[in-house]
Amino acid sequence: MDRADLIERLTPIIATYAQDKDAVASINETTDFIKDLRINSANLVDVILDVEEEFDIEIDNLSMERMLNVTAAIEIIEDKLKTK
Amino acid sequence: MIGNDIVDLEQAAIDSNWKRKGYLDKIFNNEEQFMITSGICSSLMVWLLWSMKESAYKIYSREIKIREFAPLKLKCNNLIIYKDKATGNVFYENEVYYTESFFDKNYVHTIASTKQEELERVEIKITDQTPPDYKMTNPNSVSHHGAYLALVYL
Repeated sequence: MDRADLIERLTPIIATYAQDKDAVASINETTDFIKDLRINSANLVDVILDVEEEFDIEIDNLSMERMLNVTAAIEIIEDKLKTK
Repeated sequence: MIGNDIVDLEQAAIDSNWKRKGYLDKIFNNEEQFMITSGICSSLMVWLLWSMKESAYKIYSREIKIREFAPLKLKCNNLIIYKDKATGNVFYENEVYYTESFFDKNYVHTIASTKQEELERVEIKITDQTPPDYKMTNPNSVSHHGAYLALVYL
């Protein structure tokens, strides 16, 4: 799965919790979940749980710590898919 | 340094389903989960513990300039709950943060500091109307959630 596909599957998950809907339209690898999309920190947990379900992976606590932007999310998903 | 966090309980009920499978495990350790599930006000306890963690994290991230999402590393301890307030500690990266929380049916608000005496000196303003010029008043810590804005002055 290439990065464009990953972002395509990630976008609807992120869009659910983003308070800045305009920023969702221009999601790219540098997009920050909190600063750009204004996702409430309590909803970051939902993003992580949704990603786990969508990709059938488990995101450990150490990975979760840095999952604050699209790049980190993609790296983590790629990494977990590899070791599945 | 002061940190503060407000949770609009109505907004939180709309935005977050903490009963979702796996949700509590990502945020709260076993002891904290026990406090949540053993009491009658589970929902209030979720947001009380959450606001304690958030207010302490805000101090840490401002001082160290590191951002991370590690709610399990922030450990709530020594929580004492009174009628409409609570005091406690949050342990995080070898630092102890003292917290004081106030709650009613609308919101939970927590202030945190590394110095306990600082908590007694602060002035807190909570409003459901965001004054356009509130930044001019130089608050030490600002928290905004749902309908509420909380400003803390030292």
